[in-house]
Amino acid sequence: MTSIAPNTTSGPLLKVENLSKNFGGLRAVNNFNLELQPGDLAGLIGPNGAGKTTVFNLITGVYLPTSGKISFKGQEIGGLPPHTINQMGIARTFQNIRLFPSLTVLENVCIAYHSHAGYSMQDAILRNGKFEAKEKELFEKAQDFLSIFRLEDRQAEIARNLPYGEQRRLEIARALAAEPTLLFLDEPAAGMNPAESVALMDLIHFIRDRFKLTILLIEHQMRVVMGVCEKITVMDFGEVIAYGEPQEIQSNPRVVEAYLGRGAAELAEKLQRSKAQ
Amino acid sequence: MLNKFSKSTLWFLGSAFAVYLVLQILVSAGILSQFWNTIIRLGAVMAIVSIGLNLIYGFNGQFSLGQWGFYAIGAYAAADVTYRWDVNKSADGLVVLALATSLSGIAILWLHARLSKVRGLDPLSAFTLYLTSTILLSALAVQIGIAVTPVVTGALNLLPAAAAMQIVFILAVLFSAILAAEISYLFGLPILSLGSDYFGIATLGFTIIVKILLDNSDTLLGFVEMKGARGMVGIPKVTSLFWVFIFLVLVVALVRNLLRSSYGRAIISVREDEIAAKAMGIDIAEYKIMAFVIGSFLAGLAGGLYAHINGFLHPDTFNFIKSFDPMIIIVFGGLGSITGTVFASFAWALILEGVLRLWLPQGFETWRFVVYPLLLLVTMLLRPAGIFGNYEIPFLRQVLPKLRKNQPSEAEPVAEVRP
Repeated sequence: MTSIAPNTTSGPLLKVENLSKNFGGLRAVNNFNLELQPGDLAGLIGPNGAGKTTVFNLITGVYLPTSGKISFKGQEIGGLPPHTINQMGIARTFQNIRLFPSLTVLENVCIAYHSHAGYSMQDAILRNGKFEAKEKELFEKAQDFLSIFRLEDRQAEIARNLPYGEQRRLEIARALAAEPTLLFLDEPAAGMNPAESVALMDLIHFIRDRFKLTILLIEHQMRVVMGVCEKITVMDFGEVIAYGEPQEIQSNPRVVEAYLGRGAAELAEKLQRSKAQ
Repeated sequence: MLNKFSKSTLWFLGSAFAVYLVLQILVSAGILSQFWNTIIRLGAVMAIVSIGLNLIYGFNGQFSLGQWGFYAIGAYAAADVTYRWDVNKSADGLVVLALATSLSGIAILWLHARLSKVRGLDPLSAFTLYLTSTILLSALAVQIGIAVTPVVTGALNLLPAAAAMQIVFILAVLFSAILAAEISYLFGLPILSLGSDYFGIATLGFTIIVKILLDNSDTLLGFVEMKGARGMVGIPKVTSLFWVFIFLVLVVALVRNLLRSSYGRAIISVREDEIAAKAMGIDIAEYKIMAFVIGSFLAGLAGGLYAHINGFLHPDTFNFIKSFDPMIIIVFGGLGSITGTVFASFAWALILEGVLRLWLPQGFETWRFVVYPLLLLVTMLLRPAGIFGNYEIPFLRQVLPKLRKNQPSEAEPVAEVRP
């Protein structure tokens, strides 16, 4: 993938080196390595409990890493609070949708745009011209995001009342309103039917090109992962067990073992051979 | 000039002015007795504390029982200043309070700007820095204040006595509110990182500490004129209907301006989902402390006004049991509804302090505290979201912009997801 993101520094956008996280005696993530180039659309997969969401939480600052280095745009971000990391340009969605449930759809998006609001608290309290102008701009920007996601007619709806698919789209719209360069999607297709998954895949491609994003996603639906991602990292028991393009990953015996158990790889190979004959 | 204000703003200001005018005429004509005049002023004062609490609990989601403590601080601080002016004929209280709050305020803002940039700073060390610097500056303020007092007293004495009294009163109320806000900042810093329930317990502790200190204000704190548990008397009764209305309208308008801005939405997002707010770039610690400090400022402001209604303060008024009053008012009126808060505050004053006091036969005033919980119980059963839910009058609503139909640029619309 050629570099399309407006990244001035050469080299990877995100570089994670030897990242580890212990919860008491449990080593949830062990020596995790990852490199994302600007414009990448990468996947992170693995069986349940492999530590994928923990990796997201470590990179976005929800957890403090036990050891290891995370650098974003060449800057060390390990140990920074989540809101600072977001303001630097990493946004995310959540596995179990986390909207602001009793606010309107439009307000949900406006909140993510807060760090770009461009007026001070004094301006807000005094309601001066600067406030009026910037607030109008903010609303228009938020409406633009909503219309990209076909949610513009829903702007006054309370977020909690939206159907599931629209909540998912709103969450992605909200993440994009923070104007990130790197977007993490945590199981975006969870709970979607095949038709919705296909639409989601188009959506992911579309936002990557439209907003010049780099995207890393966690997903269990193999159809989505294989159809969307250009590079895939596979985790098991907190460690990276494979890295490569979708085709390589599908035939990697360690990956098959991680998903289906010991011995499964040989069986799969036998099956494939017999099919070929 | 007029078309700069929207219709809803004119409606709000107009009706507030009309209500004030009618009440003022009724009071001046002697149709409303002094008793009802006091009840109305109490209602307005209660509305200011409750709006502050609603900001903290209803909008920011932090359960605080400490507002009554800040109310007490505001009341006693303002009362002490006006008492010293009225009885001792000295502006020393005002000068010292103004200097101490200004110096500490500048120090807090300065330290805040510096310390918030430090990565991984331990909250307790930050707290120690804040505390020592404010204590040192307050001590300095006392020394400077004593030196400056004669000049200020002389200057104020040049004015007509009534005007000077009003100036001292308003300044005392404002600086007491700032004092309450600063104390709330120092207090909130270490405990706002606690979860909401634990925060509630810690703030309840604060209210109890304040009450105990006020019980012993003459011995422990050294303010002889506060007379400790015997109650402070001789405070000038200068809180007029005019002043409570001015302050209430200002508070409603400013809180609305704050809430209906990006900062207000950030405050509300903390209530909605802390983790999502953080991930969206909202510094939740910052907005928690902001809501808490503004809420406590309003509590202090209301306290200052309250002290000058009856001219009498007693520590029992600031008992922690009473700290549930504003809590009950906001739950009754509707969490997250300013309209409901103002309405419920006046209902509280008129019904519980007014009507029931008059109607119930002699010796049965205590029954109020049976009626009171029963009313609350019925409300919770019939309308769990409070009388007003989250209804707001048009002036207080978030105005959503109109849909712009002609969307340019978006040439490639996203495939519609049809479940």
